[in-house]
Amino acid sequence: MNGLIRNPLSGIGYRVSGVGNQITAYRLLLPAFLLLLIWPWAAMDEAQAQETAVAVSPLLTGLIRDTQEQPVFDAHITAFSGKDILAEAVSQEDGRYTLLLVAGDPIPDEISIHVERHHFQAAEYAVNSSAIENLRQSNLLHLPIITLERRITPGFWIATLVFVGMLILIALGKLHNTLAALLGTTLIFAVSYLGPPLYEGLYIFHFEDALRYIDWNVIFLIMGMMIVIAVVERTGVFQWAAYMAYRLSGGRAWLLVIILMIVTGIASAFLDNVTTMLLMTPVTIRIALSLGINPLALLMPEVMASNVVGISTLVGTPTNILIGSYGGIGFNDFLSNLTPGVVLALIGLIVYNLYTYRHDLQAHQSGGGVSDVLLQRLAQKGRITEPDHLIKAGVVGAGMILLFVLGEKVHLLPAVTAVMGATTLLVWIKPDIEEMIEAVDWTTLVFFMTLFISVGAIQEVGLISYIASGIGKLVGDNLTLAMLAVIWLSAILSTVIANIPFTAAMLPVIGFLSVNIPGADSKVLFYCLSIGSAMGGNGSLIGASANMVTAGIAERAGSPITYMYFLKKGFPALIITVGLATIWLFIRF
Amino acid sequence: MSGIVCAIRGGASSQPTITQAVHTAQETKLPVYFLYVLNLDFMKRGSHSRTQTISEEMQELGEFILLAAQSQAEQQGVKAEGVIREGHVVGDEIISLCRELKADYVVLGRPKETAEQNVFTHEQLDQFGRHIEQETGAKVIYPAGDE
Repeated sequence: MNGLIRNPLSGIGYRVSGVGNQITAYRLLLPAFLLLLIWPWAAMDEAQAQETAVAVSPLLTGLIRDTQEQPVFDAHITAFSGKDILAEAVSQEDGRYTLLLVAGDPIPDEISIHVERHHFQAAEYAVNSSAIENLRQSNLLHLPIITLERRITPGFWIATLVFVGMLILIALGKLHNTLAALLGTTLIFAVSYLGPPLYEGLYIFHFEDALRYIDWNVIFLIMGMMIVIAVVERTGVFQWAAYMAYRLSGGRAWLLVIILMIVTGIASAFLDNVTTMLLMTPVTIRIALSLGINPLALLMPEVMASNVVGISTLVGTPTNILIGSYGGIGFNDFLSNLTPGVVLALIGLIVYNLYTYRHDLQAHQSGGGVSDVLLQRLAQKGRITEPDHLIKAGVVGAGMILLFVLGEKVHLLPAVTAVMGATTLLVWIKPDIEEMIEAVDWTTLVFFMTLFISVGAIQEVGLISYIASGIGKLVGDNLTLAMLAVIWLSAILSTVIANIPFTAAMLPVIGFLSVNIPGADSKVLFYCLSIGSAMGGNGSLIGASANMVTAGIAERAGSPITYMYFLKKGFPALIITVGLATIWLFIRF
Repeated sequence: MSGIVCAIRGGASSQPTITQAVHTAQETKLPVYFLYVLNLDFMKRGSHSRTQTISEEMQELGEFILLAAQSQAEQQGVKAEGVIREGHVVGDEIISLCRELKADYVVLGRPKETAEQNVFTHEQLDQFGRHIEQETGAKVIYPAGDE
C-alpha cells in the first residue's frame, strides 16, 4: 500500500512506503506514529480549508458600541437590501459582528444595516455605493462603528427600583443579605419573563444573559479561602495570639492596644474581617475583663484596624476580591500600591485611638482592676488547641501566598490558587469532609451570585452607564478630581450602604472612568474604590459587617456599642485614615 | 435547694446587680447563682458555618463573665456558682433556673444603652418581676438606684 499524506505545514505531499512481508514492526509503527503526529495538523488544515471556502462569501464586519464607547454585545444586526434580508448576525462580547452574504449571489446596489438591542434605540446605517463596489471586488467590507443610544424602558425603572430596594433592605436589616439579593434577582427574572407578553418594554434580561454577569473567579476564590479559614479558626491561633499580645504588652494598656491592632490587622489582611473579629472579640473582652479596663477601649481600635488593614492584600476583603477580579489587579499590585498607604493609615489610627481612649487606658495604669483569677483562666485558654493542623495550614498558607505572588507570571488565577490550597489542606489533614463542606459559607456565596445578577440587571438596562456618564461629566479629564470623588464618595456612602453591593455596582463605573480619563489607566481609581469602600466602613456601625459582629458580641458581654457611639468614635477615624490613604495615593500615582 | 438567682451579662451595667445579689446573700446567708444566657441571635444575619466555633467562644466568654462575678462574691464571703444556659429569651431562662433551684430571691437588673429585645424597659421589668413571683414563688429584688 502506498499513500500520499499531505504535510499540513508545507502543503506538499510525501510518500509513505512499505508494505510487504519483510516489513518489520518498526515500519508499521513509524507511519502510525507519524500519523498521530500530523493528525492534529491535518484536522487544523481541514478547518482552514473550510475557512477558505467561507471566505468566498462576501463578508461585512463591524463593531457596535454604546455612547460611552463600550462594546455592546448581543445586539441583533441585519443586512437588508430593500425589504429583503441578506444576512443576520449577533455581536460578540467585544462588540464585533460578521455578516455573511450568500456565496455566488449578486451583491445588490443598496445595502442597509439595521441594529437592534434591548435597552437601546434601534440604529440604521446605509452602505454607500463605493463601499458596495469595494465589497464586490474584495468580498470584504469593514463597516464603520455603529453607536447605539440608550433607551429608558419600564424595565430600566424596575431594575433600578429593585436594586435600590435591595440596598435598603440590607441596610435596614429587614432581610438577610442573601435573601434580599435573592428576592431582587427573582423579581428581575419574574418581570423579564412574565412582563414582555403584556408589554415588551418590561424586559430586563434572560437567565442565560444573567449568568454571564456572575464572576466565578470571585466565587471560587472566596470558597477556597473559606475552607482554609475554617481549618485555621479551629486551631486556637487567635486566642493564642491575643493572649501573647497581652503577655508582650506586659500589662501596659496602651501597648496592648497597639499590639492587638497590629495582630488583628495582619489577620485581616489574609482572612476575612468578619471571621477575624468573630474570633478576636471574645478573647479581647476576656483580656479587658482580666485587666479591669473598658472592653470598648480595645475592641473599637481592633475593629477599625481590621477594616483598614484588610485591604492591603487581594484576599483580605471581599471588596478587594471583587475589585481585583474586575480590574485585573493581582496580589502583588495590591501589596505594592496599597500596603504602604494602609500602613500610613494604621499609624494614624493607632495615634487617634490612643488619644481617644487615653482616659480608659490611664485608668487601668493606676492598677486596681487586674484580676489574678481571670488572668489565670486567660492563660489556660490562650493556647493553640490543634498545633498539627496549624502547622499544616501554615505551610499551605505560605504556599498559597507564594502562588498568589508568583502565579501572576504564569497567569495563574487567584481563584485557582485558593482552590488548590484548600484541596491540598483537606487532603493533608483529612478532616471530616462533611464538616468542612458545612464550614463553607454557602449563604455568602449565594449572596455574591445573586448580587452579581442584580448588578448585571442595572448594568444591562443602562443605569450604570448613566451614573458613569454623570460622574464622567462632573470630573471631566481631571484625574485628581476623579480620585478625590471616588475615594471620598465611596467612603461616605459606605457608612450607610453595604460596601459589597456598592463596590459591585461601582466597578463598571470605575472601569468606564479608567478608560476615559487620561492617566487613569494605571487603575488608580480601583485603588481609590478599595480604600473608600473599606475604610468608609469605620464611619458607622452598619458600615461593615465586622462592626456589626463586634457589636453583637460586645453587647452580650455587657458592653454595648450603640450606633451613635460608633459614629462618634468611628467617623473621625474615617477622616484620618481615608485622608492619609489619599495622600499616599497621590504620592504613588 | 434554695438560693439567689442573678442574671448578668458582664460589663459595668451588671455591677449594681452583682452588688445587690452579694448584699442579699450576705443578709440571708444563701448562695448566689449567677446566670449567663448564651444567645447567638446576633449571628442570624451572618454565617451559620461559623456558629459552632463562635458558640464555643461565647461559652468561654460567658464562663469568664461568671467567673469574674463569682470571684467578686467570694471575696466578700459569699458562696457563688455560675450557670450558663443557651436560649433566645433571658426571661424564660431565669424562670426555668428559679424553678430548678427553687430560688428564694431573684435579682433583676436592667442594662442601659441597649436596643436589644430580650432585656427589659422599666415597665416590662416590673411586669416581669411580678410574673416571676407568681410563677416561681421567688421574691424579686431590684438593685438600689435602678428602679
